[in-house]
Amino acid sequence: MRAVRFHGRGGQGAKTASRILGTAAFLEGFVAQDSPIYGAERRGAPVAAFTRIAKDPIRERGVIVHPDLVVIADASLVQDPAARVLDGIDERTAVFVNTSLTAEQCQAQTSLPGRLTTLDLTDIALQQFGKRGAISALLGAVAGRLAGLHRESMSGAIARELADLGLAVPVIEHNQTIALQCYDAVRTVPLETGAAQPAASAQLQVPSYEPPTRGTARISAAANSILRETGGWRTFRPVLVPDKCNGCWLCFAYCPDGVISMTKDDRPVIDYAHCKGCQICVHECPTEALVAEREQEGAVAWKAK
Amino acid sequence: MTWQRETFKKIKQIPREEHVLPGTALCAGCGGLEALRLAAKVLGGDVVYVNAAGCFTMLAAYPFTPFKGSWLYTTMGSAPAGAQGVRDALDVLIAKGRLPKEEDLKVVVLGGDGSTYDIALSSTSGAITRKLDFYYFCYDNEAYGNTGMQLSPATPYGARTTTSPCSLQHPAGTTQEKKDIFEIWRAHKPPYIATVAPRYPLDLEEKFARASKFTGPKLFLALSACPTGWLYDPGETPEVAKLAVETGLWPLKEAIDGQVTHTYIPKRKPVEEYLKLQGRFRHLFEPIRQDEAIRHIQARVDDYWKQVNG
Amino acid sequence: MEGEMMTGNLAAAWGARLVDVDYVPAFPITPQTEIVEALAKWCESGAMAARFVTMDSEHSMMTAAGAAAATGARVFTATSSQGLLYALEVLYSVSGWRAPLVLVNVSRALAAPITLEPDHNDVLAARDCGFLQIHAETCQEVLDSILMAYRIAEDERVMLPVIVNLDGFYLSFTREPVIMPDPEQVKRFLPPFRPAHLGFKASSPHALGVAVLSGTPYSYFRHQMHLAAINALDVHREAAAAFEQLFGRRYDVVEGYRLDDAEDVLVMTNAFASKGKVAVDVARAEGKRVGLLRLRMIRPWPADAIRHALQGRRAVAVLDQNLSPGQGGILFQEVAACLYHEALRPRALCSFIGGLGGKNLSEGELRAIFEQTAEAGVQGKGIGPVLLYTEAEHREMVQLQVLAGGLKS
Repeated sequence: MRAVRFHGRGGQGAKTASRILGTAAFLEGFVAQDSPIYGAERRGAPVAAFTRIAKDPIRERGVIVHPDLVVIADASLVQDPAARVLDGIDERTAVFVNTSLTAEQCQAQTSLPGRLTTLDLTDIALQQFGKRGAISALLGAVAGRLAGLHRESMSGAIARELADLGLAVPVIEHNQTIALQCYDAVRTVPLETGAAQPAASAQLQVPSYEPPTRGTARISAAANSILRETGGWRTFRPVLVPDKCNGCWLCFAYCPDGVISMTKDDRPVIDYAHCKGCQICVHECPTEALVAEREQEGAVAWKAK
Repeated sequence: MTWQRETFKKIKQIPREEHVLPGTALCAGCGGLEALRLAAKVLGGDVVYVNAAGCFTMLAAYPFTPFKGSWLYTTMGSAPAGAQGVRDALDVLIAKGRLPKEEDLKVVVLGGDGSTYDIALSSTSGAITRKLDFYYFCYDNEAYGNTGMQLSPATPYGARTTTSPCSLQHPAGTTQEKKDIFEIWRAHKPPYIATVAPRYPLDLEEKFARASKFTGPKLFLALSACPTGWLYDPGETPEVAKLAVETGLWPLKEAIDGQVTHTYIPKRKPVEEYLKLQGRFRHLFEPIRQDEAIRHIQARVDDYWKQVNG
Repeated sequence: MEGEMMTGNLAAAWGARLVDVDYVPAFPITPQTEIVEALAKWCESGAMAARFVTMDSEHSMMTAAGAAAATGARVFTATSSQGLLYALEVLYSVSGWRAPLVLVNVSRALAAPITLEPDHNDVLAARDCGFLQIHAETCQEVLDSILMAYRIAEDERVMLPVIVNLDGFYLSFTREPVIMPDPEQVKRFLPPFRPAHLGFKASSPHALGVAVLSGTPYSYFRHQMHLAAINALDVHREAAAAFEQLFGRRYDVVEGYRLDDAEDVLVMTNAFASKGKVAVDVARAEGKRVGLLRLRMIRPWPADAIRHALQGRRAVAVLDQNLSPGQGGILFQEVAACLYHEALRPRALCSFIGGLGGKNLSEGELRAIFEQTAEAGVQGKGIGPVLLYTEAEHREMVQLQVLAGGLKS
């Protein structure tokens, strides 16, 4: 069996990518299973999805703890503890990262233990589709190549899954073309499917009673969401061009997350640890004093505490 | 009669202090959070939010809360009843001397449109009838957003949702008309009702300041442009909200003891400009333009403003 | 005779009055309405220093009740049947908040078909929600159980809400003498409500009932409720001792009646247990060694007390005044499960279903139960579920069906 785990941010298309891979395997005559983690994902929040491919009926379900291949749609996820990208990865795991870095650079920066391969899907999507958005077809195609599936089945699976999302035929065809270019471009790495180690018996530690101050789902720390950084959600960051700023306060007024504060002399200060990169401030700035810059993975803009 | 702002005349009067802090799980570009953040600046920190199931449920998720104030998650159908219990208990405890007066809190219900327009309507109606002293803040994104955009009674004519898909029979999306919750509230005669849109922050702040002078139910209907569900780029949230107001689709108004005043009179751009921005209306323009549906939407707005202007 | 004549409903209202509750959100439903009518009158007259509010539904009523308790008020409310089920979603929330209010349920069978008379499918539908449950046999016990319920609920080791159950009609509208506890003694029995984990106030904000979004914290908090409920067994014992000392009446989690040398034991709950006790006396007079075990506390399930009372018996019959279609009696299953590991477990367990929709439980039916149970004990083979339904009732039913069918016979 091949176990493939996808990591992405809500809105990037990790779930659809896992389905494209599942459908492609199915079209090739394999037994396949795919599932997302369903929670309260929001656009930008870490999400995961799973695809299993086998010749025989699959009896596993749910989360893939020991993946053979991990597909990472956003390099910033590697540093985000909430994403749990590193779970179960060892030196035998094949890992794909969507990044502008080479595999060697990426390995040096992230110290991911597996066999790395990279491709800048975001850049391809920006160039080809002209906007940020879902890269599900590209992710799926890359995953298919690394999992050893055929070009034709990937193309067919992309058509089926994107049609299911209600996309128009020209959009689907465009996606197919670009996705197959990614399929051809990605450097393959050997995929090993070692026999899973039998699990050791769990060390159970049944909780004992605690006073309701602790034993109840309540939060007595006020406004502690500040400890939870959402800066990694960004693909673009707003950057201030100080000379152009007229100190009008509009960016401060419109920011949904309240990550812009104004100095005494009316200049915006952006809290990049929490800015989700919605670009409202960039859109609304009347003097174009705020511009959007693509996050550079080399200079990690955000780090978990 | 032109409506005059008394407290908030300039944008630099918006309080600097934040009462809803960053780090929440809500979508980037959430129009509902934008409205709540502005509202909280006037409401202050001495607040207990009584939440109904909806997107805002994600605001306080163990072990993190963004609020300087308190929070109680209730159910989808009974947040106003929760507000009743909290308000009554605070009153009783203060009256009996078990809670100092300075510990008192404003009670604020948070509900999405699904909760507000349908499942919690009995609970809301009851609370207004009982003259409960509370704020009701509805973040209206015109569909069940937390479950992935299904048709709600707040969904406007022509919108596509996951449960009102376009088909050959219904090429123009839903044929339902958005329920007029403002008028349903107004029929209950609460002291204060207002619609707000966060793209008009001074209008919003002013209304929360005005509402604070009234004891009893104070109801706010906040346009919550939703990039995830309405299918536009998150950076366009203010633009979408602006066009909702400027086309006349989302009238900014208040009702004091039932007396309605429109707080902003738009020049009324064609509704098309608003519809075109959003993926949920794309089927009205391609592959075949649905002229009938667009005309219908325009006619409804025209009728509304004809009645406003007399 | 000591005490005053009063209905079970009035006794319940007196319970709320004596513990000096702060808040009563209410909604009318037969056969509970008399409780909230009495409380409304007392709150209005100033006899009680509580705020009374008529809500728009039981769902809202229960939310207001829980929210007020979560704010730090002592809260009482009451409902019945359809109302309890309408509020069921909220019961899970209130127990999850660990808000220790007391809810009186006046049992009434559930629609459809709709009826007004009692059985216990309503209250047992709430058995898994985290509320503790005390089921009363007499009007006196209704009042006393409410006093005990607050003391148990508000204990830091428990902090869970409690349902006190009484049967519609058979207790709710039935008057019998009730001894009124002295209010000063009640104050000594029940300390003021000062929960550490509850209360909304400006100086110490907190968030309650927050989402958890994963199985690890969810399992933890749900398990804490289980541990809290189990703690209630010890807390009940302490409360029972203190109650007996102050008021002279003793209530344990189960009540044994003529169990000492009983070969066969009938397990019952609620008001019909009085009839069961009479049937035991009759059988005893005929030389049969039978006894009765009344389950008073249903949550937490008093497994040890039940095992202790039933081990070594020849046969045990459980009379369920409820029916889980496709399974049988609900309490039978729980009794059977807790006896499984007993080396001296009874030779036969028998399940009887009776009193559905308030149908009378006759002496003849009780005699039939004892006979069939004794026979099962001799055979070493349990029976049931057996619906108690007589030949006369069968004939009556056929007549009704003829009428309903349009006299075509």
